[in-house]
Amino acid sequence: MKSRIKFLCLCLLINGSALAQQTEGVVSYDRKSYWTKIIARLTFLSQEQKDRAAQTWKNEDEDKEKMKLLFTPTESVYTYLNDQGQTEDGNYSWRNRDLLLYRNYDKERKTEIEEMLGKTYIVDDSLRTPTWRILDQIKEVAGHICMKAETEDPIKKYKVTAWFAQDIPVSAGPERYSGLPGLILELDINGGDVIIEATKVEFKPVAAEIKLPKLKGKKITNADYDKMIQQHIAESITAHRNPYWSIRY
Amino acid sequence: MKNIFCIALLWAMATITWAQTPATRVTVQGRVVDTASAPIPFSTIFLLNPRDSSMVSFGRASENGTFTIRNVKQGTYLFKISSVGFFDHNQVLKTGDKPVEDLGTIKLKPITKELIEVVVKTAKAPLTIRGDTVEYNASSFKVPPGSTVEDLLRKLPGVQVDQDGSIRAQGQEVKKVLVDGKAFFGNDPKMATKNLQAQAITKVQVFNDKTEQAKLTGVEDGKKEKTLNLELKEEYKKGGFGKVTAGAGPASRVDGSDIPMRTEIKGNYNKFDAKRQFSVIGLGNNTNQAGLSWDDYQDFRGSNSFNWNDNADFGFSGSNRFIYFGNDDDETLGIPIGGSQGRGFTNNAAGGLNYNYDTKKTKLSTSYYYSQTQLSLSSQRNRRTLLENGGQFRTEEASNQFNFSGNHRVSLRFEKQLDSTNTLVVLNNSRLNNGNANLFTRQDLFRNSVDFSTRNTTNTGNTLQQFGSATSLIYRHKFKKKGRSFAASGTYQINTNDADRLLNARNEFAQATSANDVLRIINQEQGTVSQRSQYKASLLFVEPFAKKYFWETFYNFNLRYDEVDYDVFNVGDASRTRNDSLSRYYKNNYLFNRVGSSVRYSFKGMNISAGLAGQQFTLDGRFAADQTAATFNRINRSFTNIVPNVSLNYDMKNNRYLFAGYDVGVQLPSSRDLQPLIDNSNPLYIREGNPDLLPQLGHNLNGGFSYFNPGSFTNLFLNLYGTYYVNQIVYSQTIDPQTLITTTRPENISGGRNLGSYIGFGFPLKKTKATLNLNTNFNFGRNLTRINDVLNETNNRNYNFRTRLELTPKDWLTFYANADWGIINTRYSLNTSQNQRIYNTNYNGDLNLKFPGDFYLNTSLNYRIFKNERLGFNQQVPIWNASAYKILGKAKKAEIRLTAFDLLNRNVIVSQYAGQNYVQEERTRTLARYFMLSFTYNMRGVQAKMRKNGYF
Repeated sequence: MKSRIKFLCLCLLINGSALAQQTEGVVSYDRKSYWTKIIARLTFLSQEQKDRAAQTWKNEDEDKEKMKLLFTPTESVYTYLNDQGQTEDGNYSWRNRDLLLYRNYDKERKTEIEEMLGKTYIVDDSLRTPTWRILDQIKEVAGHICMKAETEDPIKKYKVTAWFAQDIPVSAGPERYSGLPGLILELDINGGDVIIEATKVEFKPVAAEIKLPKLKGKKITNADYDKMIQQHIAESITAHRNPYWSIRY
Repeated sequence: MKNIFCIALLWAMATITWAQTPATRVTVQGRVVDTASAPIPFSTIFLLNPRDSSMVSFGRASENGTFTIRNVKQGTYLFKISSVGFFDHNQVLKTGDKPVEDLGTIKLKPITKELIEVVVKTAKAPLTIRGDTVEYNASSFKVPPGSTVEDLLRKLPGVQVDQDGSIRAQGQEVKKVLVDGKAFFGNDPKMATKNLQAQAITKVQVFNDKTEQAKLTGVEDGKKEKTLNLELKEEYKKGGFGKVTAGAGPASRVDGSDIPMRTEIKGNYNKFDAKRQFSVIGLGNNTNQAGLSWDDYQDFRGSNSFNWNDNADFGFSGSNRFIYFGNDDDETLGIPIGGSQGRGFTNNAAGGLNYNYDTKKTKLSTSYYYSQTQLSLSSQRNRRTLLENGGQFRTEEASNQFNFSGNHRVSLRFEKQLDSTNTLVVLNNSRLNNGNANLFTRQDLFRNSVDFSTRNTTNTGNTLQQFGSATSLIYRHKFKKKGRSFAASGTYQINTNDADRLLNARNEFAQATSANDVLRIINQEQGTVSQRSQYKASLLFVEPFAKKYFWETFYNFNLRYDEVDYDVFNVGDASRTRNDSLSRYYKNNYLFNRVGSSVRYSFKGMNISAGLAGQQFTLDGRFAADQTAATFNRINRSFTNIVPNVSLNYDMKNNRYLFAGYDVGVQLPSSRDLQPLIDNSNPLYIREGNPDLLPQLGHNLNGGFSYFNPGSFTNLFLNLYGTYYVNQIVYSQTIDPQTLITTTRPENISGGRNLGSYIGFGFPLKKTKATLNLNTNFNFGRNLTRINDVLNETNNRNYNFRTRLELTPKDWLTFYANADWGIINTRYSLNTSQNQRIYNTNYNGDLNLKFPGDFYLNTSLNYRIFKNERLGFNQQVPIWNASAYKILGKAKKAEIRLTAFDLLNRNVIVSQYAGQNYVQEERTRTLARYFMLSFTYNMRGVQAKMRKNGYF
């Protein structure tokens, strides 16, 4: 009986969302990074050092950040959910590094404000869409049935798995990923090193909220950005340092 | 009607053809309906590259199910329609020359209720096919708990299991079963399937693998074997790692004494799965390595190496949360860590077991560790002591000691998340120590540095047994309202000591005025039985009020109970008589209560807190020569004060931080300082306790700034700190003008202060190749001591400059150099002519080279210079070490190493110190030149250490 009711609810949910075709709102994401997994990717560490880190820190290797994505069919903004970082009890707070990723899907433009490597950079350039492979699996994320797609980051050389909602026909997504037939509700970077998972999808008019703040920082292009990241990763590996300590994974 | 449509279509096609001759771009269109021919709205249409399923284009059906994708390049596509609640439609689409590719009406089959439940609930398709691999999701096939993999296999479509357990997949016999890609117990496929639990499996994969023959020879024989791979769930993943090192070096003869053979052995093994970790460790050596290295400690303790939030004494958040209790010379309850070279000559042995169990809700860790050290130490000291009348005397001291200490340590930590709001932590650390020490000392005292005045020779034999244990219980509760929390803790600590000392001292006074005073002989048996118990409780409540504000309130209760029974007997030729002037029985209660409150502001990286605490100490003690005494001396003291606390932390843009704080640190007097005992174990330096001592208060002020550039790794750190002492616990001295015997007694003196600063700056000279670090610190101290009732003010001005160069130009070459210069200026108000200036200098170079064939060389030279011109002291200690090693084998799991320690044979431990009314230099003999050949086997592979520091 219970399962029947569930099924009924599910059908309603599916039909409801499918029919309504809501295309504007806010998604809240939990962005969890597992830093012992990331450490395990560092080529200059011995297996012993990786095992030691994994065993020592296994109870506290999860680093959680709350993020949000405002989306309309043509635009999106991805940034922190709160304007400050804080401990779970809110007792201690810290400053968030600048991060705001704006996209215009109609004009195929983007403006990204990101603080990294000790500076705030503004990437104002055309929007590039990764080449997605569409796979046959489906799963539910935050009440939406999602299809699976995969791509590879051309600079960081890792696999990215996205789960996109078929019933939200918006090409937006969290971090720097977009261009799928539906809104991306979950991203899995490099086999679980970082997982960005939607916790809540709210449909409401947000077009008025999507605007760029004052741009303060060094203006660079896509090519500059790629070059900088590439160089930083190469240098860090040479210097036996974790590159992802100072750039976003 | 239909014709008109066709004409229209033709016209449309013609237009497109016209516009885009030749027709390289096409339009794909069609209509999506369900099995009842009703239109399915809004389904997603994909055009994928058939080679790798990469998405070329996508579209969306309209409300009535029709779809049109324009501008499609001519070619072959995987055409896919997906709609929630329906099976996907897949077909190969090859666009022809026609400008419009009409796929007509496409029917989607609905997914049945059962299946959609499976798919949605498990979020996994039960079966996927990738190339020639069929992958089954184990959780989609239900088997009763306790079933084996064999039972699971029977449920998989396309897989059969025969009566005898042999497996057939897609009609072919399965020849190999792998677990996580690795062979399981040899080659019998049935072993794994019959022995493994089905619930441990997440996926079953069936594929065709090359034969062993083909793998071995590398020659493709075209034959394939059906292979089954069982992928284990994360929590069933197991691992183990470990290493062992053994080394030995020849005996030698140094300065006329025999140095026995050097040996060293150490090993550890670690076994773990996702929840459990078990480790053993053992070490033994005579190369002065007593403690574990940090790496070994982490391997041994695993997830329990470091625990935050285990402090049961709540207080002001931010700086100085705790109340400090004077150190009672007890060794800590925790496992000793530190890879530094010990002093003298030691024989060390240690071993332990550790078990951790970690889940999200329950964490348990237990360990047992035994360590023992045998120490042989001989030192020479030269000390100049100032007197209140401008005079001074010199002490020449030589000592030899042989100590043994064995420690059993047990630890337990249990953490349980009772539910989402309640957490409980139970901690216990205990230590049982057995030790003995034999000390032989000879001291010669010279008045005004030249006139021989006093000679002392002392022989002491000590045996002791100590037990220490601390148990804490911490309970934390989070309320529904974010930020509101409550915590309570209770702690019980006990320390017992049972010690016996045989004291044999002979004191000769060359300048005695009467013949009776020329010679004093002490022959005593001194027995101590003591017990110290401590009961503590703390409460903490945090309430968020307004936005960004928190109100914190805490309460601490602390009762320390000391009981000491100290019996001294004078041992004569035939008799043993009790010495009533030295024997003591002593009992006391030290009660501490504190209640405090603070307000905290926290927003966007600005964290400020300010608070006040009121505290009261009550001392209630009594003592007499013996517990049977008729009358006891009573001590009753009470002390109340209010302490403020302010702290600021500001996280600014671009990794700049600002911090500042003011707090009052409280240090309760140690039990030893409070006991009204006279310790004459050094008959020329007698120590008395003072039961009237009040707690020491230190007003601490500190502030600083730090900056770090993660791009260039340039960093800057500035810090300034100062302390002003009230009731500082200071050892005052009374020096007998006749015998030069010093008696010290702790006292409370206000007015001491200390001011210091640290500045560090590091930056790359050349990115990834060369880094330079510069830092300096200074420290100005004003210390007050009473010398024969005259207040002496000692002013110390210490300056340190350090520079460090790191060169990492190549993978095969690294070089690290540093230079430290230290100057200590000491001025005495008692006697300005004795002002001292001490120089400590240290130069160090460390070179690492990698040669072809996994051959490595490390060599370092350390040059230390100790200088004090006034005393004419100038000692230079060059230490040259070298080791050559080769990593063996293809898997690089073994290493053979030849080490030469102190090639120049010059090692000696030197220290120079200018204290309150004395200046002292000390030289201690220690392990000098030795050679060692060692072998290491590491299951996880040996890595050459070409670079210092970690990987952050």
